[in-house]
Amino acid sequence: MNLVCIGISHHTAPLELREKLWYSNEEILAALPLLKAQGFTECVLFSTCNRTELYAYDANARVESLTQFFLKQKSVDGSIQPAHLFSYAGHAAVEHLFKVAAGIDSMIMGDVQILAQIKSGFSLANQSTTAGFFMNKLFQSAFHVGKRSRSETHISEGAISVSYAAVELAQHIFDDLRKKSALVIGAGDTAQLTAKHLKGKDIGNLFITNRTTERAEALAKMVGGHAIPFDTFSEKLSDIDIIISSVQSEQYVLNRTDIEKIIKNRHTSALFLIDIGVPRNIDPAAKNVDNVFLYDLDSLNVMVSENIEKRREEIPKIQSIIAEEVAELERWNSSLQATPTIAALNELIEHIRKEEVEKNINRFDSKDRELVELVTKRIVNKILHAPIVNLRNGHDDSKAEQQQKISLVRKLFGIDTTRKERSNGS
Amino acid sequence: MLLGIIILHLIYLFARTVAFDHPPVTTVFEILSVLAFSVAVAYAFIERRSKSKETGYFILNIAFFFQLGSSLFIKDLLEVPQILRSSWFGLHVASALLGYAAITISAVYGFLYLMLYHQIKASNFGVIYKKLPNLETLEKMNFTAVTMAFGLLTLAIIVGFIWLQKTFSDYSLSDPKLIGTFIVWAVYGIGILAKKTGELKGRKVMLLSVTGFVIAVFSMTVINMFFSGFHKFN
Repeated sequence: MNLVCIGISHHTAPLELREKLWYSNEEILAALPLLKAQGFTECVLFSTCNRTELYAYDANARVESLTQFFLKQKSVDGSIQPAHLFSYAGHAAVEHLFKVAAGIDSMIMGDVQILAQIKSGFSLANQSTTAGFFMNKLFQSAFHVGKRSRSETHISEGAISVSYAAVELAQHIFDDLRKKSALVIGAGDTAQLTAKHLKGKDIGNLFITNRTTERAEALAKMVGGHAIPFDTFSEKLSDIDIIISSVQSEQYVLNRTDIEKIIKNRHTSALFLIDIGVPRNIDPAAKNVDNVFLYDLDSLNVMVSENIEKRREEIPKIQSIIAEEVAELERWNSSLQATPTIAALNELIEHIRKEEVEKNINRFDSKDRELVELVTKRIVNKILHAPIVNLRNGHDDSKAEQQQKISLVRKLFGIDTTRKERSNGS
Repeated sequence: MLLGIIILHLIYLFARTVAFDHPPVTTVFEILSVLAFSVAVAYAFIERRSKSKETGYFILNIAFFFQLGSSLFIKDLLEVPQILRSSWFGLHVASALLGYAAITISAVYGFLYLMLYHQIKASNFGVIYKKLPNLETLEKMNFTAVTMAFGLLTLAIIVGFIWLQKTFSDYSLSDPKLIGTFIVWAVYGIGILAKKTGELKGRKVMLLSVTGFVIAVFSMTVINMFFSGFHKFN
């Protein structure tokens, strides 16, 4: 398989180097035709915040020439050394792409975003007509690996960030987040992320409060919530179902008595509190109040670590999916050789000829039977002559074009399906 | 599929009523079959309302074992006292059994709620956490079952009184089974009222629900076994 892959990822280089090789969609669309012009008949490039990868397929595909192009195209200075890049060829390149698609090569184990990013890269290659016969099959197989990994294993299950863990927990307490209200106290990074995740789950009302009103307003604008003044937020508490607190404060922002009051004044049952402040913002004793679910950074981190460990345990299952799909792709690839295809075609047509002759031979006089055999053989040979010569003399075609031709013949004559049927029948 | 089984079960109960000329509530094993039917009907109603199917395993297993017990030991019974052939009696027992089935279901939801509640509080994210619906849904399912139970017990008590006055001349309101049923009815009534007014929420409502079930089981078994009264027919 003349497939070559070159790239940079979080495994090989830090962010400041990765960002130098980051390609926007426009840059990808500009680069692919140039690569094709250099003789790589099929190529796909995708770029995310953690990786940029370039796949090329051609009889003459070489890692060195691809690396040169990769670095030159982005005018990268000497800061990126060969050690910052990775490269694979043939079988190893396929295996690598499948690992990436399955999410087990990602920084976040089981990442679900990566599959969409690969799809986007493949669609750009289709737009610039650099994804041909081989890349189509390769990337469809990669998407299949990604899909299988998510449906047949638990690789993408369980929250693996503190902010998402909090939202996931909320869904185990409340029935419909669209009917609930949340209050974010503070405007730090984790509070921002939690607010975004809550909004992503269509939380009914999202209020944000912060000592600096401008920051609360900015966050409210960003996530589509409502800013409320820090001095008066306590008046709103009995209408709130979820409170996320992450401010720097020497004293508790909410103590046990506050929480007891809130619970008493609430009509519905549960109150979910997430304390991600250091030092803690909510009195830990509030955990003992009936119907109060209080989580701090430590308890959320425990949840996250358990989920990461569970995802890691799924890797062997993913590896066997990858092995199956690589074997399938290799079977398909090796079927696309001229000589075995010609032999299979001859065998198929000869089988049909023989079958028909045997069925009808009794209609002929015994003296004509030899002639029937001869004539039918001649007809078959004449019909097959041109296709076989064309398949044999495909030297002027690129590897991909030749394989496409072979694949078409196999499909048109139903070589693989007829073989299967015959072997099942026998 | 559940609906199909419920219809088949209904046909069976109806056929039995016609064949033996009395409602199938005169022996423990006939009652078990009606209880199995009642649990399935009450669950189907709750599932339809809540659109949550995750708890079917817990509830329908109860129905299965009730029916298994009935199928193994039930006998053809043609001779029953005349008073048990009354349709007032049939309605009284049917509504009481459906009510007790709803009580059983509410207790299962209460129990599941309490388990999940403690797991979430203790950050123990095991199988129960993953498989059960969220706390709020369990609370709603419990409340639907409790409301059904209260309504049906009310009906059973009213019909029971009408039948009582028509049939018995020597009845006593201090009959232990009557007192037991009144206590169960009162516990559920107070629970519904307390929840509606917001006096009781979440965990405490569930504790009350499980307690109500324990009292109901006590009233139906212990009282039946150790006390005598007019409310006993075999």
